[in-house]
Parts: sequence; structure tokens; C-alpha cells
Amino acid sequence: MHRHPPVSESAPAAVVVEDLHKRFGELEVLKGVSLTAREGDVITLIGSSGSGKSTLLRCINMLEIPDDGRVVIGGEAISLKKTRGGASVPADARQVERMRTRLGMVFQSFNLWTHMTILQNVIEAPVHVLGVPKAEAVDRARMLLDKVGILAKADSYPVQLSGGQQQRAAIARALAMQPKVMLFDEPTSALDPELVGEVLRVIRQLADEGNTMILVTHEMGFAREVASKVVFLHQGRIEEEGSPDKVLTNPDSDRVRQFLSRHLSGAA
Amino acid sequence: MGTAMTVAVAVSAFAFGILVGSLGASAKLSHSLALNVVADVYTTIVRGIPELLVIYLLFFGGSGVATSIAAAFGYDGRVDLNAFTIGVLAVGLISGAYSTEVIRGAVQSVPFGQIEAARACGMSRWLILRRVLVPQTLRFALPGLGNVWQLTLKDTALVSVTALAELMRITHLAAGATRQPFLFYGTAALLYLMLTTVSTALFNRAEISANRGVRRA
Repeated sequence: MHRHPPVSESAPAAVVVEDLHKRFGELEVLKGVSLTAREGDVITLIGSSGSGKSTLLRCINMLEIPDDGRVVIGGEAISLKKTRGGASVPADARQVERMRTRLGMVFQSFNLWTHMTILQNVIEAPVHVLGVPKAEAVDRARMLLDKVGILAKADSYPVQLSGGQQQRAAIARALAMQPKVMLFDEPTSALDPELVGEVLRVIRQLADEGNTMILVTHEMGFAREVASKVVFLHQGRIEEEGSPDKVLTNPDSDRVRQFLSRHLSGAA
Repeated sequence: MGTAMTVAVAVSAFAFGILVGSLGASAKLSHSLALNVVADVYTTIVRGIPELLVIYLLFFGGSGVATSIAAAFGYDGRVDLNAFTIGVLAVGLISGAYSTEVIRGAVQSVPFGQIEAARACGMSRWLILRRVLVPQTLRFALPGLGNVWQLTLKDTALVSVTALAELMRITHLAAGATRQPFLFYGTAALLYLMLTTVSTALFNRAEISANRGVRRA
């Protein structure tokens, strides 16, 4: 079976998360999580729903603002400050915007802009955020749409596409920013089973090309194939992390073992 | 002549109303309690009293208020607002109260995921507003704004009480002078009907264009 090659310990860190805490009202969703993604790493975050894996991913690009801890992207820490009410907010909105251009995000529900064609979706941020000339952005967008296999749909609107095609368009939109790191938040969970494969194929190709990626998924078989590292979260803490062979076949933690016996049936 | 004045008042009032409505909707959706209260008081009062009364209040109070505002900026002397300005302000404030609710509802209908996707691409708040939120809001707001436009157009008839020479006022004068009220009021009714029919058709076309990519599939 295909395996992701191990990433060298000396590879530069693309994303560092240090002692991250996040609470929603009374509920503490993250209770001190630390994680490092090195360049070339494909990290899959797994765990039951409510374990905090999606929140962790969303804290990396500040869609959720962590209450405590640090997020460092490409060596630059995102600076946060406290309001008088004690809430955590970005100290500099421009810095967060700049960091986000280096992080491509793919959502569970695609979130394509419905009033734009697929091509317009893909060139929107390169043209208006990065200032790429339109002709150049269009050329690159066509290349990316071809790569994810939906070039024929370039002039269609999102609603005219299947879920799998929409998600591939959303991946192309994220790639168009030429991000340093790709973040995937359960990219296949909203898809009909027969459409999951086409999206996973695209993600696998990106992993093979050496892209740095952090991926929240329920697809255990896929996690084993693409990941350089698997991280299991339980109630806001990292329960176990390591190579996919270690965590997914011979975990130290009983919780991981139980989780796998529920999720691995038929997947591997 | 009167018809042209009616259209001028209606278009200006509707535009002013959209401006007020956008501000009102922003105020209602803002996190500031003070702004929430101001916007609520505005829509409650304006929607809660008869349109004619709003016009009278502005007609008899407007110039006084304008004079004191001008005085506050160092201009002493009386500021007289003309009937057109008062008509536009009055009908615009009424129109704005309804637009506020329409726009607020439309903003809330925009799927939040599309805003998040824009943020995740590094778009600034202004860019998100311009490229995602406004076009999407327009799509949800157009049917409601079409209704507000019709109300606004018909509310201009009330401005005739200020003796502004719009369609209703001229009809009234002509009907009185010629003693053929039915002929003139009937003609006025047809003219209003023509205006509303044409504008409804225009709004329908705008809706189709704003809904591209939504209802086609």
C-alpha cells in the first residue's frame, strides 16, 4: 500500500501551535494543544465529534480566535490581544489577512460564492487580494481547474455542479492563492458516498506533490495512506500522535483503540 | 409635467431610503446596543404613525430644524427647505424604515459560510462587503425592495399636501378648475398604474440578473 514518506525532523516548521486554549462560553473545547507541521508534512487530525479537531484547524487561520496560546505561521507569530471584556482578538487585522493568504482553507460545505462562476470563484482572491493581473489569474485558474478535473465547468455556477465537483472547485480556489499550507476541514463529510473518491483522489495528488497539509477527516483508510503524522484528539487534548502505522494499527491509548474499532471496519 | 415631478420625488426618496435603510440595517445588526436602540426607535416610530403625519411634521418642523442645524454650524439666518426637499426627506424616511427591515433580513439570509470562505482567503472587511456581502444581499433584498419602491411611488401622492406640483396636486387642481374630476382622477390613476407596471417589470429583470447562478439549475 502507498505510504507518505516520513518528513525530516530538520525540515522548517510551516505551522506551529503552542498550548492552544479555546472556550465557547462554559465549554472548553481546546485545553492546551501543541502541534508542529513541518514543510512537506501531511497531518491528519482524527477523533470523535466534539474532540476539538475542527476548532483546532479553524484556530490556525483565526476563523476562531484562541483564548490562549500561540499560532506561528512560517516563523511569524500571530499577535493577539485581550479586550477589556477579556475576549481575545487579533492585535492587527492586516497581519491576520496576510497570514490567511498563506493558508488555503477547504470547508466541509464547500462555501463557494454562489453569485460567481467557478472561474470567477477561483480568480477572485488572487486578483483582489494579491493583485495578480486578471489574465494571469485566469490562466492559472484554468490550469488548476484542469488539474482537479473540472475545467469544462469553468463558466458554470456552483449550483449547477455536483457536491464532488463543488468541493474540487473549492480546492482549486484555495490552491489559486499558492498557499504554503492547505487546511482541510472534513472535506468529504458532506458528500454522497459515491462522490467521496473523486475528492480524495485530488487531495492525495496534492499530498504526493509534497504540499504541506493539515486535514480533519473521518476517512481512516485515507488518513493512513496520505498522512505523515496522525494526531488523535480527545476532549480538547492530544491523546496520541505519531506515524499512521503506529497510531492507526498499534496505538498505545485504549481510547484510540476503541475509536478505531468503531471507525476502521471496512475502511482499511 | 406632474408625472415627471412624481418620478423625480419617488426616485430621489427611494434612493435616500436605500441609503437610510443600509445605515439602519447596519445599526440593527451591529453589536452596539446604542445603535440597535436608535434604529429600533426610528423604524418603530416611522412605521407606526401615518405617512401623512410624517409629511406634516417635516413640512411644519423641517425648516425649523434645518435652521437650528445651520445655526450650530455658524450660519445665522433662516433656512427654508423647499417643498421638493421636504417631500424627498419625508417619503425617503418612510421608505428607509421599510428598507431597513428588508435589507436587515437579506443580510441575515446570506450563508455565513460564504463570508467565512472570503475571510479565509485573506479578504479585508471592506472587500468582503463589496465583493460578497452586497451582491448576495441584493439578491435577497430585491423582491422586498420592489415592494418598497411601489409604496414609495404611491406615497409621493401624499406630498401634494405641501403644494408641490407633482402628479396628484396637478390632477387635483385640474379637476377643480374644469369640473371634470372623474376624467382627471381617472387619468391620474392610469398614469400611476403605468409607472408601477413599468417599474415592476424593471425589478423583475433586475431579480433575474441578480439571481444568476441560483435558480437556473
